[in-house]
Amino acid sequence: MSRANVRRLALPLLVFVGLLLVWEAAVPALRIQPIILPPPSGVATAIVETAGPIAFHARHTLVTTLIGFGAAVGLGLLLGFAIGASVTVNDALYPLLVGFNSIPKAAVVPLLVMWFGIGAVPAVLTAFLLAFFPVAVNVAVGLATLESELRDVLRALGASRWQIFRKVGVPRTMPLFFASLKVAVSSAFVGSVISETVASNAGIGYLMAVAASDFNTRLAFGGLFVLAAMGVLLYGVFAIVERRVTGWAYAE
Amino acid sequence: MSLRDVGFEYVTSDRRVIRALEGVSLDIPRGTTVAFVGPSGCGKSTLLKLIAGLLTTTRGSVVVDGRAVVGPLKHVGMAFQNPVLLPWRTVLDNLLLPLEIMRENGDPRTPNRVAGRDRALALLRTVGLDGAEHRQPRELSGGMRQRVSLCRALIHEPALLLLDEPFAALDAFTREEMWELHQALGLDRAFTGVLVTHDLREAVFLAETIYVMATDPGRIAHVHPVTFPVPRTLGELYGPAGTELIRQMRDEIRPRREASA
Repeated sequence: MSRANVRRLALPLLVFVGLLLVWEAAVPALRIQPIILPPPSGVATAIVETAGPIAFHARHTLVTTLIGFGAAVGLGLLLGFAIGASVTVNDALYPLLVGFNSIPKAAVVPLLVMWFGIGAVPAVLTAFLLAFFPVAVNVAVGLATLESELRDVLRALGASRWQIFRKVGVPRTMPLFFASLKVAVSSAFVGSVISETVASNAGIGYLMAVAASDFNTRLAFGGLFVLAAMGVLLYGVFAIVERRVTGWAYAE
Repeated sequence: MSLRDVGFEYVTSDRRVIRALEGVSLDIPRGTTVAFVGPSGCGKSTLLKLIAGLLTTTRGSVVVDGRAVVGPLKHVGMAFQNPVLLPWRTVLDNLLLPLEIMRENGDPRTPNRVAGRDRALALLRTVGLDGAEHRQPRELSGGMRQRVSLCRALIHEPALLLLDEPFAALDAFTREEMWELHQALGLDRAFTGVLVTHDLREAVFLAETIYVMATDPGRIAHVHPVTFPVPRTLGELYGPAGTELIRQMRDEIRPRREASA
């Protein structure tokens, strides 16, 4: 690992550990009730004691997130290609998409529960609804910003619209597409946890809701830390994929 | 190739009708190069797109090889001020793109893969980029990219080469090198060239006939045959005959600009 990489990992880690230490010291020093704010050591104990159920619920959240995310990538790609390739489709759909995207998705969860009952289906759907927009917009932008000169060069060779789309449109959209994946996977994660919190009997969101209603503050915080770790991990995986696949889009 | 009374009009978003070109009639003999020079907005680039069939005339007709141009011509080479290389492909793969499209479209003129590759490498050698075939476009300087772009326009051995300000973004010395390079490429190949440029010296160096255009509506104002024998040298270009021709064309363009300003 290069020095720059060590620095990039070590600095935030150092700050994180420092904050935990301050927190650990502040709870007894300020006489805070552990039921209001447990010290990090208590949260860690809770995570270790409840490791089995946490792993089960974490897996559940991960699966619902990834299913919703997968569906969002599929539909996002299709919509993005349609909007980017056709001005008519763009004019017709883009305003509607923006309107739809401005609905706070938490408000949709009760409706989904009404239709599909309590469980994984509303969580998957919420994850999907939150995640497809960034994919669709990025793909559409990638296609729509194709240089007119490049289009002319290819048309003058007898290339069809489909050939221009395949040979140039799709590859030049890939950096934007992969950039959107890390945003989309984070959104999907938020969506599934929101839905789990409101209406589910599995998942970290559910675990936290139950822990909170039992005044088990330590476990609720434990869930929060697990969510943070999962969120960072999901983002990180797609950030690395992006770098690997579309390295050409970055200056040396 | 001939243009007969070619006109092109379009309607702007605020519903004004713009006459971009009017009454353009000229003949371009096979294998010669002509240049269109003139102020911005005189319709030079539009004319190029009409010849390529990328735009359709609203009056008159463009006839290439005895046939009226109605849609995009196939098998034309084009290069622009912006080299528009594909950044995810190596230099070699950028050059092979036109051949890929021809192969997919079942064009009988497509060389086989080995011959196509050889042709690409030979072109790179001609423009002084031998050894650069596996490099990425982002690793190249502007002049090198423009040379690759020019090679891409010639790889499929087009009968017609259309150049729109191809060297305008380059520094003066690189530009002169590119003129000589372009002339060298033209001596080995029998294409008909159409060059659109702001640079009067470039037109004198590269073209057999220069059309000076005027604006509002875009039209041909003057025609100058360039009589220096080919191949030409920069010495001739900057000699008395070349300088006199450039001065004359500049005077033809300038008063109109001042009148319209």
